[in-house]
Amino acid sequence: MRDRLLQLLTATDSFVSGQEISTKLGISRTAVWKHIEELRKNGYELEAVPRKGYRLTHAPDLASIDEIKASLHTEHFGTSIVYKKKVTSTQEVAHELARNEAEEGTVVVAETQYKGKGRMNREWHSPSGTGLWFSLIVRPDIIPQKAPQLTLMTAVAVTEGIMEATGIQAQIKWPNDILIDGKKIAGILTEMQSEPDRVQAIIIGIGLNINQQVEHFPEELLPKATSLALENDGVTYQRAVVISAILKRLEQWYFHYLQHGFKEVRERWESLAVTIGKQIKASTMKETVSGIAEGITEDGVLLLKKQDGTIEYIYSADID
Amino acid sequence: MFEINEIKELIRAVDESSVGELEIRGETKEKLTIKKEGTGAAAIAPEVVQAPQQAYAPAPPSAPAPSSEPAEQETQTKKDDSLEKIVSPMVGTFYRSPSPEADVYVKEGDKVNEDTVVCIIEAMKLMNELEAEVSGEIVEILVDNGELVEYGQPLFLVKHT
Repeated sequence: MRDRLLQLLTATDSFVSGQEISTKLGISRTAVWKHIEELRKNGYELEAVPRKGYRLTHAPDLASIDEIKASLHTEHFGTSIVYKKKVTSTQEVAHELARNEAEEGTVVVAETQYKGKGRMNREWHSPSGTGLWFSLIVRPDIIPQKAPQLTLMTAVAVTEGIMEATGIQAQIKWPNDILIDGKKIAGILTEMQSEPDRVQAIIIGIGLNINQQVEHFPEELLPKATSLALENDGVTYQRAVVISAILKRLEQWYFHYLQHGFKEVRERWESLAVTIGKQIKASTMKETVSGIAEGITEDGVLLLKKQDGTIEYIYSADID
Repeated sequence: MFEINEIKELIRAVDESSVGELEIRGETKEKLTIKKEGTGAAAIAPEVVQAPQQAYAPAPPSAPAPSSEPAEQETQTKKDDSLEKIVSPMVGTFYRSPSPEADVYVKEGDKVNEDTVVCIIEAMKLMNELEAEVSGEIVEILVDNGELVEYGQPLFLVKHT
């Protein structure tokens, strides 16, 4: 209910009458008043003028279910949202939900993670209320072999979502780090629950730096990481609006992928990628290989052309 | 002596191959001849000719296989039958632990059940925590940590307990 009330209030800069709200939401005038009071408690500022109604003058940057739903324009993704103030990691919560039959499109979002997970269990810095830490559960009818394609698809969707919500140009580093001006803005970690020939669930975890200021980053991260606000002269964004834009792109690309396959995802990925054509270093657990990134295969594998002209297939590595 | 299962296996192998006749001698010098009826290799349809790849190498018609070989291979196969293989569901990097510093998921001698996570396979930053899908004891780990594995490649041998 409150999400629809927010939708009405944010749709206009002028007043919305209590009667209009009451009619559109199908609730009594008293109920409207109660919801308005709840919004005020949550940090919203509303001007109330007799016979004119209510006008929203300030919205706090919340990313709870009501705020996300108020700005969300999707059919499936985010229909079910689990919101947590503090979690170990949204991936962990989403895994548990997926094992308990959570439906496709379920989103887990948290204000802060105290065990935010990166690749190889590296810590992901997720201070409260500054970024967006969320996980999406999908259940595609594909073979596990194809599942890595979804991580490149996610990179495309997140990059487009960021650009749509902020107008800031973002790029992809293979396979799915998102960069602004060479600094990391978002990381994606995807985990799969599968049987040998069937995917049960894929859990896409996204960590996105939105409103961090310089002081929020540990010093050693400053040369390598940034936030949307830092790229916008310190001016913050409504996180709910950013996540809604990303979820919309994710949904569009996901169903497009299921219907038409990887081809267009790959083309879009290549047009957004910063890696291709560059001299890079790929470090795996066993070795470091240098060469030119030639492109990616049909499955998203990175093709690295070494100095002797041979091509190395890179499935997993840190790229510098 | 040849066991009935071994003979059946051999008949099937000959049947699926371009071999018209197979004669082998066992360890105790007993002799087994399997002859295909009527047709020569020339009459066999082309797609059948491709089949020998899957069957274990049948000898060409002119040169019968060395006597001990098929029997030996048979013993090998039988040994493997009592062990379950956990295979990779995708191409990717094989990791024995969740992070380089962490303990391995399983080691040789560990007991596992269907839900036990035995390793991670990673490709394009998609992490697949592989569950055993069988219960028993890990008797052999066939792949090194950090190695690239193929689709369907055996990773662990598990003995039913």
